[in-house]
Amino acid sequence: MKTFRYERPADPAAAVTLVAGTPGARYLAGGTNLVDLMKLGVETPELLVDVSRLPFGEVEETDTGGLRIGAAVRGSRLAAHLLVRERYPALSQALLSGASAQLRNAATIGGNLLQRTRCLYFQDVSKPCNKRRPGSGCPAREGAHRDLAVLGASEHCIATNTSDLAVALAALDATVHLTGPAGVRSLPLTDLYRLPGDEPERDTVLRHGELITSVELPPPPHSARSRAPLMVYRKVRDRASYAFALVSVAAVLDVRDAAVHEVRLAFGGLAARPWRAREAEQALQGRPATEEAFVEAVRTELSACRPLRENGYKLALAERLAVAVLADLAGQG
Amino acid sequence: MRLTFRVNGRQQQADDVWEGESLLYVLRERLGLPGSKNACEQGECGSCTVRLDGLLVCSCLVAAGQAQGRDVVTVEGLASQAKKRADGRSGGADGRTGKAGTDLQPLSPIQQAFIDAGAVQCGFCTPGMLVAADELLERNASPTDADIREALSGNLCRCTGYQTILAAVRLAAARGTADTAGTADTAGTGG
Amino acid sequence: MGTQMRGTAAPGRTPTSLSRRSRTKGGIGESTLRPDGTLKVIGEFAYSSDLWHEDMLWGFTLRSPHPHARITSIDISKALAQAGVHAVLTHDDLPTAHTQYGLEYTDTPVLADGVVRHHGEPVALVAADHPETARRAAAKIKVDYEPLPVVHDEASALADDAPILHPNRDDHHAGHVPHPNIVHRQPIIRGNAAEAAKRADVIVTGEYEVGMQDQAFLGPESGLAVPAEDGGIDLYIATQWLHSDLRQIAPVLGLPEEKVRMTLSGVGGAFGGREDLSMQIHACLLALRTGKPVKIVYNRFESFFGHVHRHPAKLWYEHGATKDGKITHMKCRIVLDGGAYASSSPAVVGNASSLSVGPYVVDDVEIEALALYTNNPPCGAMRGFGAVQACFAYESQMDKLAEKLGMDPVEFRQKNAMSQGAIMPTGQIVDSPAPVAELLRLIKAMPLPPEKQWETARGAADVRALPGGLSNTTHGEGVVRGVGYAVGIKNVGFSEGFDDYSTARVQLQVIGGEPVATVHTAMAEVGQGGITVNAQIARTELGVTQVVIHPADTQVGSAGSTSASRQTYMTGGAVKNACEAIREKVLETGRRKFGTYHPAWATAELLLEDGKVVTDSDEPLADLVDVLGDEVIDIELQWRHRPTEAFDPVTGQGFGHVQYSFAAHRAVVEVDTELGLVKVIELACAQDVGKALNPLSVKGQIHGATVQGLGLAVMEEIIVAKDAKVCNPSFTDYLIPTILDTPAIPVEVLELADEHAPYGLRGIGEAPTLSSTPAVVAAIRAATGLPLVRVPVRPEHITGT
Repeated sequence: MKTFRYERPADPAAAVTLVAGTPGARYLAGGTNLVDLMKLGVETPELLVDVSRLPFGEVEETDTGGLRIGAAVRGSRLAAHLLVRERYPALSQALLSGASAQLRNAATIGGNLLQRTRCLYFQDVSKPCNKRRPGSGCPAREGAHRDLAVLGASEHCIATNTSDLAVALAALDATVHLTGPAGVRSLPLTDLYRLPGDEPERDTVLRHGELITSVELPPPPHSARSRAPLMVYRKVRDRASYAFALVSVAAVLDVRDAAVHEVRLAFGGLAARPWRAREAEQALQGRPATEEAFVEAVRTELSACRPLRENGYKLALAERLAVAVLADLAGQG
Repeated sequence: MRLTFRVNGRQQQADDVWEGESLLYVLRERLGLPGSKNACEQGECGSCTVRLDGLLVCSCLVAAGQAQGRDVVTVEGLASQAKKRADGRSGGADGRTGKAGTDLQPLSPIQQAFIDAGAVQCGFCTPGMLVAADELLERNASPTDADIREALSGNLCRCTGYQTILAAVRLAAARGTADTAGTADTAGTGG
Repeated sequence: MGTQMRGTAAPGRTPTSLSRRSRTKGGIGESTLRPDGTLKVIGEFAYSSDLWHEDMLWGFTLRSPHPHARITSIDISKALAQAGVHAVLTHDDLPTAHTQYGLEYTDTPVLADGVVRHHGEPVALVAADHPETARRAAAKIKVDYEPLPVVHDEASALADDAPILHPNRDDHHAGHVPHPNIVHRQPIIRGNAAEAAKRADVIVTGEYEVGMQDQAFLGPESGLAVPAEDGGIDLYIATQWLHSDLRQIAPVLGLPEEKVRMTLSGVGGAFGGREDLSMQIHACLLALRTGKPVKIVYNRFESFFGHVHRHPAKLWYEHGATKDGKITHMKCRIVLDGGAYASSSPAVVGNASSLSVGPYVVDDVEIEALALYTNNPPCGAMRGFGAVQACFAYESQMDKLAEKLGMDPVEFRQKNAMSQGAIMPTGQIVDSPAPVAELLRLIKAMPLPPEKQWETARGAADVRALPGGLSNTTHGEGVVRGVGYAVGIKNVGFSEGFDDYSTARVQLQVIGGEPVATVHTAMAEVGQGGITVNAQIARTELGVTQVVIHPADTQVGSAGSTSASRQTYMTGGAVKNACEAIREKVLETGRRKFGTYHPAWATAELLLEDGKVVTDSDEPLADLVDVLGDEVIDIELQWRHRPTEAFDPVTGQGFGHVQYSFAAHRAVVEVDTELGLVKVIELACAQDVGKALNPLSVKGQIHGATVQGLGLAVMEEIIVAKDAKVCNPSFTDYLIPTILDTPAIPVEVLELADEHAPYGLRGIGEAPTLSSTPAVVAAIRAATGLPLVRVPVRPEHITGT
């Protein structure tokens, strides 16, 4: 690990100023990803600015009946929060299916969203990686990539985003609030992330010094007949706990009179960002909520997949998982 | 930097701590508390599990500076912690810890149960496992097997196949329930 | 006064009846608790990574990023110049011409000697005042590599133009291997397989593959080397075999063995992964160079490079059978990837070949097993040692044969099962119980776990009981149950003519008015509970309750390795033997002191029970305290199992193994066939243990071995890419089972005594790791109908996409 300085400023403005004024500075929250990557030599900040104790630790209802989640809220606390469990169960499910209890107790919501990829080559500084060392190459394409991207990848990078939380938030139409040297701004969560393109080193559109302060959810959709929000998060992985998604799905479905009234679908494990399945959603809007329709819509979405030697299985997994999730939700409504 | 925080109920100070040291390193190498283990140092195995302000965390991923002013309980403090809880229920005195923050108390119920059930082989996962199991029993005095499995799923063990670890937690729960029959809090199911 | 005996002595007239039960509390057969349990639960047990010494330095190893390269230059000047750095060493700094080590062949460079042969090979060492300083300094060492062509599989190893990885071999197998990139090859020919095949009504063939498994012990490689005033060194270390380490370390350091004093520190698991040296020589070199104590602790990343792994294998099998279900013949070819250095590959080859038939009677066989030299990570000992790979293949074949014959897979196995008196393919007669059919009967007779346990009273599914668990992947739809069986055979102890022995030094004296036995061996306690058992044996044999276990070190003779399921047999046997000699001494003293008071001193068979000398009809003659007075009886003896012999290099015939161990598993799985997820519901095991010296520890071994087999079946594999680089050296990317992946493991134990072994016991630690893997895979096959010829089975192999 390289030497670095550690600061814990008292307020957000001071934190932003510190990071903005130091090119090699990084925000530190729960540390579960950043500290690990520093140990591996993947991350080499000059300055760590600890934001874990800044006043972003609240979960509160918004005026419109949505939810605002402070960026410093711990994953375990959010998963257990009554409002989340009642109104946004998919969010709870996503959080609880990630990492271990120990990590969920430390990791914050903001940090979770900014966790870096688990590509085997990104982790190992002795190997080339365009994300870690731009221009050095991407051995994953020829090497071990069964867990890597099939959608939106580029010749430079096939890494995936590994946040379960982000997938659920994508399907819930979350907005991310930021503060930075140029003031505050907000982004739809799906716009926070970028596809690798020619700049795989940039995971997000955040500018240097920008800090996630909260995540906001619109009110949950409800079925006409029941109070229960029809949403779910499901994940396929190699081990029953403590493993990243091979494929995951977050879905919200409201069926009225046997037709799709509202649908939102997002995939994890397929791309460098949580993959909001807009084409599938469009195809389903107003259509009969049948398994055939689900299959057709999901296939349309996944037709853009460009699998490599070892990760083609993800297509079938993603299709089956999404169709099962949608069919389940349709059946419950 | 200088680091000041509470460990097992006792104020501790470490000087000349390098920013890149983890809470685990500070505990093991600077405070003489090697009970928390270093099986992976990457948050993947749970052997370094401690309580940080009451919450289970992997101490290997807590940057030293983040522990400033916080309250830490390690395996070395479990017996005192258990004594404190027991005294709290019966209105007794605080548990005491020794010079280096290690216990002067006899074993806590979960520690005794691990020995009795044969849940210890090489023992390298044991400290983290114990801290996690103790936390489970604190919030759920009568866990089901599913609750136990869920609570310990962040702690890897390579020797026991987990069978005797499950048995040990069941045993500690049963003994705890027997001790406090009629008063045990069995509301939570951890699900 | 003390009496100390050394050397091998035949004990005198001592009762060794297997059926005798000791009255002394805490003796054999009881589930006494671990003597180290309390220290381990309070966090004060000193593992090798916990050691601390005033003024100590931290060592770090710079490793090769290339799997095969020539080192053209090394520049250490920047590392040496860094503040806090005390030494930087490369191959040029080694103190003697003896610069290689190895378990079987001396082929492994202490530090790379101009060529690196695998990813992660040690190139240079740094000692500094803080572990991070050492790491940073290592990063400043500039090594120029010229990459060489990579040998990564059988085809590239044996090609005409293949680079020869070890051109100047002088090992004892070098003369008869067909290619210099073959570490060892063992054929076994018995009967006439081609002729017997003509009798077969059905013939099945199969090609199977086993991925590279890691021992994944939790305590990382670590130790502390302290330079001594006499120019020697004290090494505190986690290992499986102190004396084997010593034999390899001392010549490299240029020290006589007596100047390298080794003490076992706390060992956080081993499973074969500590049989080879890791940081031992490195820490000693740095300590001798700097004159300061040096501690080295690997992190998990380094640990994956710092020890050998289980050999990945490709296995081709052919079996024939008659319509009535009798196996006619077997042919097989087993190719093990030994990686860059030999480690214990030759012995693994011996095991894979001699155990390749499994616990079945097959008179006509044609067997070939070999291990390759490649540029992949070195492979060697891991629990099961060559028998694991073979068992996956032959048990897969058994199911295939049974299916082709339309027979029940268990009945088919029972029909061909060996029993006592059977002849191994090596010609060796199995001369102790081999209850293979009975073990299969036992697991089959166990009640099956209830169906659909995920269904709750309220109607909602408890996802924790379903494949995928908390991932919420299924609520029961598409979930299919499958049941699979497997049985395996493992040898116990060192084989093929190896002079296998252990040594125990036992003292008996009166301390504080009580007789106290001290047991001193060099046996590595790695978690298995050997120290518990050694104390139980001493209690049983000497009739005392107080037993002190002396720390294991090299001040006593070798105990051999804590591997091959051998320590209870061997060091337990050595302790028993030394105790018997002590007992003879006690009785001699007793006869001298009290012989005139009771005729039984001269005429009866005498025992030590409950602190007394008693007759075989339980009449007390004297208190031990009175017999001993202030005498200290102190005896150190070596003890050997009966000799074995090498396998013939051409026919593979020979009395190669001292004992066999058998276990069988039944796996019940539920598979989400849509998503490829497997939940193992139950993994029942039946094993013959000969005699359970400590039933709780016996079950602990069976549970642990079973789950390691489960891990190999469905998740564990070190991924080595075609470029021979390791891809997943972490516990996030190399997955081992968590408590949520682990089912209930009901255990049935048989105790059929082996008359050749102490107390009739059988080595138990490995057999259950063999049959677990094929049982799980058989169950997945039963649920899915898929052939599944490779482990680990991953979701994509089940979804078939």
